Amino acid sequence: MNSIPKWQAAFAFGLILISRLAFAQADTPTSWPDDEGMAQRLGACAVCHGQHGEGAAGAEYFPHLAGKPAGYLFAQMQGFRDGRRHYPQMVYLMSNWNDAWFARVAAFYASQPTPEPHAQAAAKLEAQDFARAQKLVREGDASVDLPPCAACHGDRLEGLEPGIPALAGLPTDYLIAQLGGWLTGARHSIAPDCMSHVVTKLQPGDIRLVATYLSSLSVSPDDRPAPEGSRELPLSCGGAGQFDPTSGVVQ
Amino acid sequence: MNAARRGLPIGFLFALIPLIPLLIVGVVLLRAQGGIAALSAPREPATAFVADAATLQRGEYLARLGNCSTCHTARGGATLAGGRAFVTEYGTIHSTNLTPDPTTGIGDWSVAEFRHVMKHGVSRHGLLYPVFPFQNFQHLTEQDVDAIFAWLKQQPPVEQATPANELSFPASQRAALIGWRMFFHRPRTLVEEPSQSAEWNRGRYLVEGLGHCDMCHGERGAFGSLLDGRGNAGSVIPGLGWHAPALDRESLARWSSEELAHYLRSGAGKHGSAYGPMAEVIASSLQWLEEGDALAIATYIKSLPRTAAPVPVRGPKARTQLGYASVALYEKHCADCHGKNGEGEDGKFPPLAGNPLVLADDPVNPIRVVLYGAAAPSTQANPAPHSMPPFVDRVSDADLLLLLNHIRGSFGNDARAVTIEQLRAARTLPLE
Repeated sequence: MNSIPKWQAAFAFGLILISRLAFAQADTPTSWPDDEGMAQRLGACAVCHGQHGEGAAGAEYFPHLAGKPAGYLFAQMQGFRDGRRHYPQMVYLMSNWNDAWFARVAAFYASQPTPEPHAQAAAKLEAQDFARAQKLVREGDASVDLPPCAACHGDRLEGLEPGIPALAGLPTDYLIAQLGGWLTGARHSIAPDCMSHVVTKLQPGDIRLVATYLSSLSVSPDDRPAPEGSRELPLSCGGAGQFDPTSGVVQ
Repeated sequence: MNAARRGLPIGFLFALIPLIPLLIVGVVLLRAQGGIAALSAPREPATAFVADAATLQRGEYLARLGNCSTCHTARGGATLAGGRAFVTEYGTIHSTNLTPDPTTGIGDWSVAEFRHVMKHGVSRHGLLYPVFPFQNFQHLTEQDVDAIFAWLKQQPPVEQATPANELSFPASQRAALIGWRMFFHRPRTLVEEPSQSAEWNRGRYLVEGLGHCDMCHGERGAFGSLLDGRGNAGSVIPGLGWHAPALDRESLARWSSEELAHYLRSGAGKHGSAYGPMAEVIASSLQWLEEGDALAIATYIKSLPRTAAPVPVRGPKARTQLGYASVALYEKHCADCHGKNGEGEDGKFPPLAGNPLVLADDPVNPIRVVLYGAAAPSTQANPAPHSMPPFVDRVSDADLLLLLNHIRGSFGNDARAVTIEQLRAARTLPLE
């Protein structure tokens, strides 16, 4: 039997040792469930958001989660738990989940394919209203210092990693409710809370126009949020910061 | 003028004679609640507390088991800085700032004052409302109290004034608490029970003292007082509407001590998962239990006799409401997770067959879980918990009743039927 030279054995041992040290952190504290295991655990979410976050029939008000930036999803879960968002059913279900689990749940939904919008009776806008909505979304309104949605959420409203969600194809009612929520203080983002500033620049009637326009935009399963840092933002927003999927920290 | 001086005091004294027995009773009751000395906290200069690392570590562990931070932290607020609102039938009470901020917290407290408030429920702010579990904390050893104080003093100070309480008269007057204490508070300290094991005694210390389990699980009498000897009888939690089950050898018979200890640390187990307020208690406190302490608690509560008062039998049995429709509903909505025969799956989906929480006389918990779903807490021992979907707005009230009665009347279960009134009442309870 050929024996392995000592230096080779020592070298291999060293390699193993280094790799053990390097990956020790990734191995702890848990090996998380795979996608099937995640879907089994998240039965409470599936009713409204779909088994893989694709949205659910009969629950068209509720947003899809699949394909949204993980940092955004994480910040929303934290928001429900920590008082930035106020939807009683969500608060009730999430108040005893910790950041590590939030991060894993966020990563699960973020990794799923972006769903096509549910067939919804998206109200058609009159030509004049359509033009107004399109202008607000694409160009904003410099006269009142309103940045366009597209400046942060992207030309195709596809979102931006890690913290800015896509807007295209979301349910109209949901979008109206969220913009209204920022207006009334029912919804907050991590400070500085850009959206609470932006909504005050909208005319009350504009909220419906913008929401209807955004929900009518088509989405393809390949649409993903733009990569982190690929766009310069006109505002400094707390939720748009960095996200570490292992420690789940949003800065 | 002179006549009045001579005459009035004598007549006045005669009028006082019938009050003498009342006065004697008052003095006796005042002494019984701890005497005059208990009613004022000692004021000494702030203690410069020197604690070693081991004491601080122990203080942190004890503070977690006592769950200081859950009550003394507002949702999204700074940890331990107080401000969480407690809604009682007398109004709203806010928890106080426990951080070592010198003006709004306990930064200038002496250890003597802290010992006093833990033992007697009285601080510089006056008599504390019994939402603060001083009747439990009076059992703590001075060493444990000091360790908690030392740890609190090490936390980051946060300047945050406590919002004013909003209470109805006379509860709004702290002096009224003297009357409450005369009837409902007795100074006590647990004495080691030599006939029981050290484990049992440790369990009792944690359950009756630091863990203050009876604040939720204890049966209450007049004016929110806890009934003597009924701390484990089970109760509907004031202000929350969840039913905290009885903790005794009968209701916990399904659990081995080891299984129960694991449940307390993980939030999920063979015979059920923690939902609602218990999920919060496990997430914020019990998941940090050392294994030995978890086992001690399980051993102690599993030894307790049943003290719950029998509930008068009312209404038809759930099994009389069953039929093809209820079977079909169960198989469509429940059987995938809970099993065809309600057997459940260890640590994932609670069993329904023979589960005392499903069968409870007061069905508020199963109603709420079916209506709004539920999520077990994420913990060190169960970092990826399972959850239960809500059925509200998806299934009609009539079908929800059929489902609830199916699980309460099948698989060998034989509880009373849930009524439409009970279902409607559960919808009015606060969700958060």
